[in-house]
Amino acid sequence: MGTPMLSRFTFLERIVHWVVGGTFVVLLLTGLAFAYPPLFWLTTFLGGGAASRALHPQIGALFGVGIVFMFGLWVRDMFLDGRDRQWLGAIRHYAAHDHDKVPPAGKYNAGQKMFFWVQSILAVVFIATGLLLWFPESFGSGLFNTARLLHYTATLGGGLFLIVHVYLGIVAYPGTARGMIDGKVSPAWARHHHPRWSGERVDR
Amino acid sequence: MPDTLSIKRISATPSALIPLASLRSGGPVYSKLVDISKCIGCKGCEVACKEWNDLKVEQTTNFGSFQSHKDLSSNTWLLMRFNEVEDGDDMNWMIKKDACLHCEEPGCLFACPAPGAIVQYQNGIVDFNQDNCIGCQYCVSGCPFDIPRFDKETKTVAKCNMCIDRVESGLEPACVKTCPTNAIEWGIKEDMLALADKKLDRLRERGYEHAAVYNPGGVGGTHMMYVVPHGDRLEDYSLPAHPTASPGQLRGLNVLQRVGSYLLGFGVISALVHFLAVGPDGPEESA
Repeated sequence: MGTPMLSRFTFLERIVHWVVGGTFVVLLLTGLAFAYPPLFWLTTFLGGGAASRALHPQIGALFGVGIVFMFGLWVRDMFLDGRDRQWLGAIRHYAAHDHDKVPPAGKYNAGQKMFFWVQSILAVVFIATGLLLWFPESFGSGLFNTARLLHYTATLGGGLFLIVHVYLGIVAYPGTARGMIDGKVSPAWARHHHPRWSGERVDR
Repeated sequence: MPDTLSIKRISATPSALIPLASLRSGGPVYSKLVDISKCIGCKGCEVACKEWNDLKVEQTTNFGSFQSHKDLSSNTWLLMRFNEVEDGDDMNWMIKKDACLHCEEPGCLFACPAPGAIVQYQNGIVDFNQDNCIGCQYCVSGCPFDIPRFDKETKTVAKCNMCIDRVESGLEPACVKTCPTNAIEWGIKEDMLALADKKLDRLRERGYEHAAVYNPGGVGGTHMMYVVPHGDRLEDYSLPAHPTASPGQLRGLNVLQRVGSYLLGFGVISALVHFLAVGPDGPEESA
């Protein structure tokens, strides 16, 4: 009560995050329906198989625009430095919540930065192969089947990443999700999870 | 003899990989046999196909060929292709009855993600059910013969259904019925294979030493077979020499489906176990 909150994400950042996140969840659900027949019933949420097939690429286009924008928004903060490499060396302690043994992180820890880069690579795969699957008549069938395999492989990676992302952001680290809702985090949260960033904030 | 149309495989169900058998097997298994050496190029079969299946007529144009249409379409399920091949001073028509071959191992059905959009019957017919089709066109790239065609208006895919409604009533398909030279024959597949052997003997007597039956093993054999006079020149007939129903990518997809479902489940369970092991981290204050 009364503690001044730190501002972590701007309105624009939050909007872009949720455009990408929201579209990705819908794409994942309809995509799993197409990729794995026992989950075909997931197409029901968008009005059936034909509607899902029609909407999936259109939502995918929105996802593509969103993630390209997101890349431009955040890429400056995502390059790994020497301290990030130390952090990665101690990732076991991070996972075990041995807080004292983890080198202090800046605005983003090395895991978040790696997440950003892997997610960006997956996005390139999604968009390139997705365009192919959207307009199959423009390409040969060998290429089409390869695109399908790559698109599904990327889905598996993206799905696993989403599980980790949601778990860490909502369940494992209380107070994190609010940074993506109204953009605010508590000073205690910042000192604990991102000490070097909180230091920068206090200095200012 | 009427056919009960017992089902063998349904797309995007377990039966796509392991065909339904036991109680449902044992009925007649049919095949067309197309003897290219007997085709006189009348295209009566094309007309019969359009008429029986009530398919829309498409405006044709003269593009310098004896062929009626340039390509198959969602409303043209049968096209007699007249490939012009030069043999010295002569020109040869390498005729191909271009329509679904009704593979024993149908690549379209294996590729289809929509349950019930493609059904294979015990009698050999592979039929598309447009009510269940979602228009993804995976079947188009799954087909080694480039047969299914997407309809931009209905957003579904269509192809020859072997006049399944006629076969069900004990009749032969419309193209067979109308062919004036019996270049297209219809019957039990074993009988058709025996007939094909006789035709091969006759063709060889006439000097076609490379005459062959086209019933490719890569798709488990087909339910429309060809007798080709020049069996050593399949590409001139636009017939793939080694078609396959399960290219490497589709086999990869099957593995990925199985591995992927376990991996995603494992991911969720891992997160739960992690939380039970170490709990939340960081200050829990709310401001």
